[in-house]
Amino acid sequence: MKNISKLILLSLIAVFTSCNDAIDIDQVGRLRAENAFSSVDDLEAGLLAVYGQLDLTPEIALSANFTDEIAIGFDSGGQGFALYDFVLNAESAAASSFWVRNFIVNNRATVLLEAAENVEILDEDEQERFNNVLAQTHFIRAFSNFELLIYFSPDPRDDSTLAVPVVDFVPEQLTFTALRDTTGEVWDYINADVNRALELSTVEFGGGDFTPTFASVQAINALRARMAITRGQYGVADALATDLLNTFGLADRTQYQNMFLDSDNTEIIWKLERTLNDAYDGQGATGSVFAGGWAGARFAFGSATLDGSPYFEMDRSVFDLLDPADIRFTVNVAPTSVISNDYLNDPDPVNNDILVIQKYIGSEGQPLMNDLKVFRSSEMLLIAAEARAAGPAQDLAGAAALIKQLRDARFGTDQPLDVYNSQQEAFQAILQERKIELCYEGHRYKDLKRLGPDANVGVDRDPIACEIQSGACELPATDFRFTLPIPIVEINANPGIAAQQNPGY
Amino acid sequence: MKLKLTWLLTLFMAFVIQFSFAQEKTVTGTVTTADDGLPLPGASVIVKGTSRGAQTDFDGKYTIKVNQGDILVFSYVGMKDAEKLVGSGSVYNAVLELDSTLDEVVVVGYGTQTRATSKVSSVRVSAETIENRPNASFVQTLSGQVAGLNITTSTGQPGGNSLVQLRGVASINGNTEPLFIIDGAPVDEDNFRSLNPQDIASIDVLKDAGATAIYGNRGANGVIVIKTRQGGLEQGLRMNYNGFVAFSTLQDNDYNRMSTQQLLRYERDRGAGAGAGGSVSPFNPGDGSPLTDAQIDAAPNFDWTDFFFRTGITQSHTLSLSSGGENASQFTSFGFQDTEGILQQSDLKRFNFRTNVTGKSSNDKFNYGTNLTVNYSTSEEPNSVGTGGINQNFVLGAFQSVPYLTPDDYVNGEQLTSPVTFTNTPLFLVDKLANFSRVEEEVKIVASANFNYKLTDWLSANAVLSADYQNEVFTFARGPLGFNAIFFAGDEDPNSAGTQVTTPGFVDQQTIREFTYNQVTSLNASKSYGKHTFDVGLYTEYFKAHLKSFGFEARGLNPATFSPGDGSGFVDDVAAQDVFIDLARANILSSGLFSYFGSFDYDYDQKYGFGATVRRDASSRFAGSNRWATFYSVSGRWNISNEPFMEDSAFNNLKLRASYGTAGNQDITGFGPFSALDLTLDLFGTFGGYGNQNSIGLTQFANRNLRWETVGQLNVGVDFGVWNNRLRGAIDVYERKTTDLFQTRPLSAVTGTTGQSFNTGIVFNRGIDFQINYNIFQSEAPDGFNFELGLVGNYNENELQEIPSPNGEIPGLGRNGGKLGEYFTLRYAGVNPANGNLLYLTADGDLTENPDADTDRVWIDKNIIPDWNGSVNFNFDYKNFFLTTQWNYALGVDRFDNDYAGLIDPTNVGQFNFSTDILRAWQQPGDVTDIPRFNATNLNSFGGSDRFLRSADFVRLRFASFGYSFPRTTLENTGFTSARVFFNGENILTFTEWRGFDPETRSNGSREYPTPRTFSIGFELGF
Repeated sequence: MKNISKLILLSLIAVFTSCNDAIDIDQVGRLRAENAFSSVDDLEAGLLAVYGQLDLTPEIALSANFTDEIAIGFDSGGQGFALYDFVLNAESAAASSFWVRNFIVNNRATVLLEAAENVEILDEDEQERFNNVLAQTHFIRAFSNFELLIYFSPDPRDDSTLAVPVVDFVPEQLTFTALRDTTGEVWDYINADVNRALELSTVEFGGGDFTPTFASVQAINALRARMAITRGQYGVADALATDLLNTFGLADRTQYQNMFLDSDNTEIIWKLERTLNDAYDGQGATGSVFAGGWAGARFAFGSATLDGSPYFEMDRSVFDLLDPADIRFTVNVAPTSVISNDYLNDPDPVNNDILVIQKYIGSEGQPLMNDLKVFRSSEMLLIAAEARAAGPAQDLAGAAALIKQLRDARFGTDQPLDVYNSQQEAFQAILQERKIELCYEGHRYKDLKRLGPDANVGVDRDPIACEIQSGACELPATDFRFTLPIPIVEINANPGIAAQQNPGY
Repeated sequence: MKLKLTWLLTLFMAFVIQFSFAQEKTVTGTVTTADDGLPLPGASVIVKGTSRGAQTDFDGKYTIKVNQGDILVFSYVGMKDAEKLVGSGSVYNAVLELDSTLDEVVVVGYGTQTRATSKVSSVRVSAETIENRPNASFVQTLSGQVAGLNITTSTGQPGGNSLVQLRGVASINGNTEPLFIIDGAPVDEDNFRSLNPQDIASIDVLKDAGATAIYGNRGANGVIVIKTRQGGLEQGLRMNYNGFVAFSTLQDNDYNRMSTQQLLRYERDRGAGAGAGGSVSPFNPGDGSPLTDAQIDAAPNFDWTDFFFRTGITQSHTLSLSSGGENASQFTSFGFQDTEGILQQSDLKRFNFRTNVTGKSSNDKFNYGTNLTVNYSTSEEPNSVGTGGINQNFVLGAFQSVPYLTPDDYVNGEQLTSPVTFTNTPLFLVDKLANFSRVEEEVKIVASANFNYKLTDWLSANAVLSADYQNEVFTFARGPLGFNAIFFAGDEDPNSAGTQVTTPGFVDQQTIREFTYNQVTSLNASKSYGKHTFDVGLYTEYFKAHLKSFGFEARGLNPATFSPGDGSGFVDDVAAQDVFIDLARANILSSGLFSYFGSFDYDYDQKYGFGATVRRDASSRFAGSNRWATFYSVSGRWNISNEPFMEDSAFNNLKLRASYGTAGNQDITGFGPFSALDLTLDLFGTFGGYGNQNSIGLTQFANRNLRWETVGQLNVGVDFGVWNNRLRGAIDVYERKTTDLFQTRPLSAVTGTTGQSFNTGIVFNRGIDFQINYNIFQSEAPDGFNFELGLVGNYNENELQEIPSPNGEIPGLGRNGGKLGEYFTLRYAGVNPANGNLLYLTADGDLTENPDADTDRVWIDKNIIPDWNGSVNFNFDYKNFFLTTQWNYALGVDRFDNDYAGLIDPTNVGQFNFSTDILRAWQQPGDVTDIPRFNATNLNSFGGSDRFLRSADFVRLRFASFGYSFPRTTLENTGFTSARVFFNGENILTFTEWRGFDPETRSNGSREYPTPRTFSIGFELGF
């Protein structure tokens, strides 16, 4: 009897736990794909995740580090040296960042669009919200494909050149690969999305639901203006840009200053919000095009002051263009900067001339964190000016008038009207104005690629600073490195695309 | 009757040989055991070459008639034989030692066998070589003791994790470490800091598939079975005390860092930094004029290495009590250890308690045992070690700080914020020492119980229930007055910058509770028919793991009331200051395994043996794809030395073994039971998206073909003992083949991701293990001179196949036919004498200053994993002294010396210290040197090359112990039954080309926390 009781005890131990309890486990807190989107509310939440994928800091980092916006800082820890030396290849962060990031946006947007097909719409109000989700999703997808086009097409004005694969669907298999489509095909894809967005969007500037941190009809049109100037469609560019300039107007000096504290939106057509505790609230990858994080951390570790450990400083080629009477001097040059009285003859320019970049001073109490301005009306003005100078009419005076309009606003006083003796002179003036109006906002690389060859302007750094570093001072805008290479990370997965590598790499 | 005949024969023989003057006489003596000196009853005493013999009585005494010149052979089961030559004396005492090689019981898959009948490759490490060593984790102590077991400890943090790999690296992303089982409980293989090594009785390392296949789902990388000490039945109370004090210091380096005077002159020559008058740090804040020679000579010369590193003092105490009655025994131990790390703010304090109980029914049919250990530890662990954070990493401060700054230059954190300069690196870190803390507290409980009931004399039912519980609390705090808090503080005014908050800093606390439960139930049968013996076992195993964590980050600390981990100083969020929003996080995860399996063993006359296992395993990880898998093994042996034809050979033991089998690795991402739990699902998540608003987004692409990694292993080995085990050892050759490797397949970004891990590819590990001991001097006398040589070694070759990329290679991983982790990089070719620029080789081998950073990279057939590793041991004892030395070696290790790279980086001028090597930098055309021009045009253009790749091969005196055991006679009337003193050293001496602090680090990082050199003195007392 005693034996039997012990045997029963052992058998009980053997069976008191059934095996399924151990091998059929659903982790808690999981949202399966099939349950993710069932209402318009869900789609709106999904749209916020897609928005969250958008980032301008890689453009800001590439443009600053590669062109002539920054010099190596006195407090450098070695950040960005290779890119400053114009080392750019298929292994570079730049190639990978632009390729991968934008294709992920393209994919997430497409996932949302496909999910939307199964959502039931209950009433008219929901229909409008639904339409606006679709409009913004198409717009974001267009925005990202446009970025791919600019950076990877050797010539966005030549439809026959190779750009990037057009993938307007969610691939069934993850092993899916595609070869590059032509620039013309990518333009068609972008235009289709832009047109669909325009059809669906009901949010307009001046309307109650307009907010500069989300895309509106005006943001779509600003994208169209930028697309047009990129593609060389000057008439379209001029019309759209001028219209937007008139709609928003230019900020006055106070508004301009407040715009970079994120407390004024006069001039802002669309910006990406950056706020405390969001996915970008941190330093990101300093000195790398992968970037992420606070925009200001592209230049300094701690704050936009001398004490914020600026690893990149303002290049003298920018500083020398800034007039202290210009509000852009106030905005861009930190008051804590150390400015050499006699820079050209200074025995220790590293320590005696420290130009601290202040464009991203911080907001919400967080140094270096600012909203990312995507489209500003001043950019529209400069697009219009470029379109007039470059258009068939070669309206150089019209371009000069627009430049004056901008400077008047920035100085707060009447500025002289430029006279351009040639189209090239006009282009040079426009490039120069863009260099200071849009500095550290990620434009310079694209501007040099688009306009540099015609203006005969390339990367032209302050010779003292670049000689101290490594002697990498100049690079013509015709250089192959103004088009990014197909990244190695893509070639590893998609070897067929290796044969389509961009020229020079 | 038989006895009488013997006597008759003896008489007859005595008669026959009387002409040789031999004189038969009667001798007596006592036989005792070596380990406790107690008399040994029932030992046999035989005159060698005859059948004359006697047995010892209850007091260990014997009497026997012998002739002068005879040899007496003393023997006892489980003891080594001893021999005595009979001379003119009449008393011959013998001391028998435990035989650790012959009939030892070894652990094989959920059971035990004698060493002779074992068919598998395994190595036992006994308590002797583990106890009293000043390593906080016993795993470090195993280093070099087991052939094929590579143990690399890459951190000097007391109790820090070691990388344990058996016979090469068999997985790319998955777990590569063996399964650890303590008293039947599978435990976390990365966390032993809370356990007391002094409690360990033995460690068995199971290597081949014959031994590990039965552990199926977790046995792919070998199994390490640990038994803790037990009391014995019918044993009076024994008390034992072990204690030691240890002193740890930083190991040496050959970087030749500059003194202040060298550095300031170099800075002056370069026209940068304090030496040139261009500094903003406290030493000579620049007015632009260079320092004079006199000023330089007067400058302070401070060694920051000695500041951030220290002599770490360890004290350890263990008291154990064991006793046993007729049906029960117990072992109880208490331990306390306090270990200071050599790096500031790193230490480990722990308290250990263990109680092990065994018992049985009076009819011996029911046996049980329980093992329980409860431990508490608290450790300070500095964060950011290995990083370039000048304000974070103490090691960086120790290795690279400029020597002209001293701790006296530090005032407070506020002052360091203006100006912020890299030169002040050591001062930021002095500030961090004062304002930062990071503490991990842990409660760890390992409990197990085993029950055995003999249903009949050949059939028994068994159950082993076990649990591993750990509760860790991490607290780290950035105090409000430190530089980091102030520097990264937000501003009072949310819409502008400039008015800094007065209560910055944060406290982050995280509690993680992990509980795993494991249960094995079985029916075991064992029956002999004549010379045939059969053992059969049927088993089920159930495993379940649960994790629950909670953490918060409280932002904003009021300096008046702040104390790390306490909430008094927390600052509340106010609408205008969202920088004070606190964060909370929590996690619940579970996983499980279920298996059923069987084993079969057959033995014929201790000569031939055959075994087989088969096991079905299910894992919750693969529930959505390939939940079940089957693993099996077959093994066999031939005890050649038991064959009649071997009777007269020198071999007292010769056994041939062979096995083949498979085992699974279900920990395919290598992060333990709570990782990769549902990779078979497409998942979305809800999280703070754009503008930190709640959003829904894609978080995981499903892998619908997920499966187990499988390791198949073929092993052929031989165990041998020659000349009565004077030379003994084991040699094994093996091939391990891992299939279905879980590794990243590159994917086109157009799919929305650039890679997904899936099961593909093969890695082979082929090699040889050998473990050989030879008693070079073997004294006849009990207190004579003995000298034993031991060789432990492993050679392992690693080969990758079927790499998931079209060209069969993935940079960072390797290439088909190459080894895992093979470097793919540019080849550096020196300095161009013409201009001081760096020279590289193109892929074709031509010199160039501008290599293509993509296409000129090549595979260089080197990696960081050793080809050869093991140890050579010399053990001496004489009288009551003993000396043990263990020389570890590793060959075929190539690492990037990034610490050196930092010390000759000319762009660090004015910010950090240098190696004096930089003084031989290229100056003018024609200079032939290995250091480029300080402003070489391509200095920073090409990051990755083999310029700093160095051999990290080494031979090191890993361990030495010298001690003295007080003889029993001395201890009489002292109340002690045994006493021993010992001096130990770890990492005493290293021979290597590696210039850094520790060649034995599995890392290509820099500014890591090196393992220390330690000397200790201790003693052991038995009551």
